[in-house]
Amino acid sequence: METTKTLKTEKPEKYDEKSLKGTIVSVGFVAAVIVVMWVAVFWIYMERV
Amino acid sequence: MEQSLRETIHENPKKILGVNSQDAKVSLSYLTVAFVSLLIGGILGLVQGLERAGLIQLPSWLNYYQVLTAHGLLLLVVFTATFSIGYLYANLSHALGGLLPKVRKLAWTGFVLMIIGVAMVVTMIVLNEASVLYTFYPPLAAHPIFYIGLVFVVLGIWACCFGVFINYRHWRKNHPGEVTPILAFFTMGVFVLWFFASLGVTIEVFTLIPWSMGLVETTNVMVARTLFWWFGHTLVNIWYLVAISAWYVFVPRIIGGRHFSDKLIRLVVILVVILNIPGGFHHQIIDPAISQSIKFLHVFMSLSIAVPSLMTAFAMFVVFERTGRRLGGKGLLGWLKKLPWGDVRFLAPMIAMISFIFGGAGGIVNTSNQLNQVIHNTMWVVGHFHITVGVSVVLTFFGICYWLIPHLSKRKLTPKMNKIGIIQTLIWTVGMIIMSGSMHIVGLLGDPRRTSDTTYGGHEAAASWVPFEMLFAVGATLLLIGVIIQVYAVFNMMFFAPKGNTEYPVAEPEDDETPTPMWTERWGLWIVLLLMVVAMAYVVPIVDMLLNAPPGSPPIRTW
Ligand code: HEM
Ligand SMILES: [Cu+2]
Repeated sequence: METTKTLKTEKPEKYDEKSLKGTIVSVGFVAAVIVVMWVAVFWIYMERV
Repeated sequence: MEQSLRETIHENPKKILGVNSQDAKVSLSYLTVAFVSLLIGGILGLVQGLERAGLIQLPSWLNYYQVLTAHGLLLLVVFTATFSIGYLYANLSHALGGLLPKVRKLAWTGFVLMIIGVAMVVTMIVLNEASVLYTFYPPLAAHPIFYIGLVFVVLGIWACCFGVFINYRHWRKNHPGEVTPILAFFTMGVFVLWFFASLGVTIEVFTLIPWSMGLVETTNVMVARTLFWWFGHTLVNIWYLVAISAWYVFVPRIIGGRHFSDKLIRLVVILVVILNIPGGFHHQIIDPAISQSIKFLHVFMSLSIAVPSLMTAFAMFVVFERTGRRLGGKGLLGWLKKLPWGDVRFLAPMIAMISFIFGGAGGIVNTSNQLNQVIHNTMWVVGHFHITVGVSVVLTFFGICYWLIPHLSKRKLTPKMNKIGIIQTLIWTVGMIIMSGSMHIVGLLGDPRRTSDTTYGGHEAAASWVPFEMLFAVGATLLLIGVIIQVYAVFNMMFFAPKGNTEYPVAEPEDDETPTPMWTERWGLWIVLLLMVVAMAYVVPIVDMLLNAPPGSPPIRTW
């Protein structure tokens, strides 16, 4: 537990090792949460005014 | 004195690097106060949850607002401030090779001042002389000793600020041409914000003291609220900086990766420091006496903080994906599975980060003018800050404990304690999802915050809130169990865990990273920019409130 080892390249370079596709999807998820929440409350506002 | 320290460093660098035992004592003392406050504050939280659900009725000698004032102040101010100071002073000591003796003295001075201040404040709350809630908005007036206690707390924080500034300057002088270690850089950012944030509230408190003593008849309510939120809004980003220091610097190491670009991290710190203070009016969107354009400026400034936050989200995802893929994660999201979910030092801050997606999105809702009309002063707001400070910040703090405390007490994190930490984290997460989730929903249905009884004579709208209020009680019960486990874990790791050495898990940069430019070190310039932005946002409205002041208000006691 105490000894976390920093990874050097243990395995030979893989083709998708540098890919950041997952990051794009994750950031997209963040954006979606923001938009959905904002639109939902804005909709409530419009219903009530 | 400083000379002798430098000599020690040269003679025996091993002895002084890392957190030495004298510095560890400072940090452990602050952390002890933090977790005692958490325990008391948590018990009060459960009392509130049960009272709101109508499951208990408080005895006649205790009122809901008294409890709520203590809960807010103990958790929001005492717990977060003492934890942050303990953690950041340990970081400073670790990064700069020990605190200067006079800085250590300042930290102890701050400790004593804060204890005196908190004792005064708490005594007044217990005596039912200060049920003014943590915002202590005038015209609600507390006993003068309550405000004097607050002054002591601020003085304590200032002592810690000066300690950091002195140690930083000393290191700077002796290391020309080097950038400050990243942990010390974060610490500077946080204490610069602490200092400038507390100026506003200090002025406010100094006007309230003579008013509460009856020496001055009236006070300007709008100016007081404005000065309060100058501080309050900044406090939020002080926590945020403390939390992200752990996300950027420690989490990558714990998962076996490298940290994301040192330059980006420093840019985020600088942006938060400069842009932060002028967001205060987004807490006063409904207040009169502030022009539309000034409110718009503050809304814009508070949204600008989303920029460094989104940069952080991106950087952390990159760290996770890179590390997960190096560990053999395949496909679009396979890297997620490779992360060490069974390690509490990772799990707790990871859940904290995930909850910040929802907390941050909620914050954007709160700061939008029309949307604020829907949620203002409802339970939504309470749900919002329990997920942001109560999870994103607090769970990060909890996760830090599992390596910081054993490191400081020269003990080890055992696999058993790790398991206890995992269970604690899960209980906290489920408890907060239930409590904060139901608070969000019932807030949208109109349930007001800060109200002990919300039955309104059985009105049907109020009746629709009841099931959600029952859920607060369920969540609150889980949370108190979580608090008890956490406090047990903290004191066990402080005094009873097996002896040994625990790593200070500081991540290293990627191999191909270019050196950080020296201009990032220009704190004088960042402070000038900070002051310019503050002036832009506050001079006009405060002058306006003073020149066109309505009749002031005498002190009022509603309880
Ligand atoms: C055991 C865990 C906790 C429980 C059960 C709990 C529960 C509650 C409840 C029921 C309220 C009352 C809402 C109202 O009437 O408006 C409240 C308010 C509040 N809580 Fe907590 N809470 C917990 C932890 C925390 C933590 C960790 C923090 C901050 C670090 C925090 C900060 C606050 C603040 C600032 C308020 C608002 C006070 C006010 O409106 O004056 N709470 N909490
Ligand atoms: Cu704010």
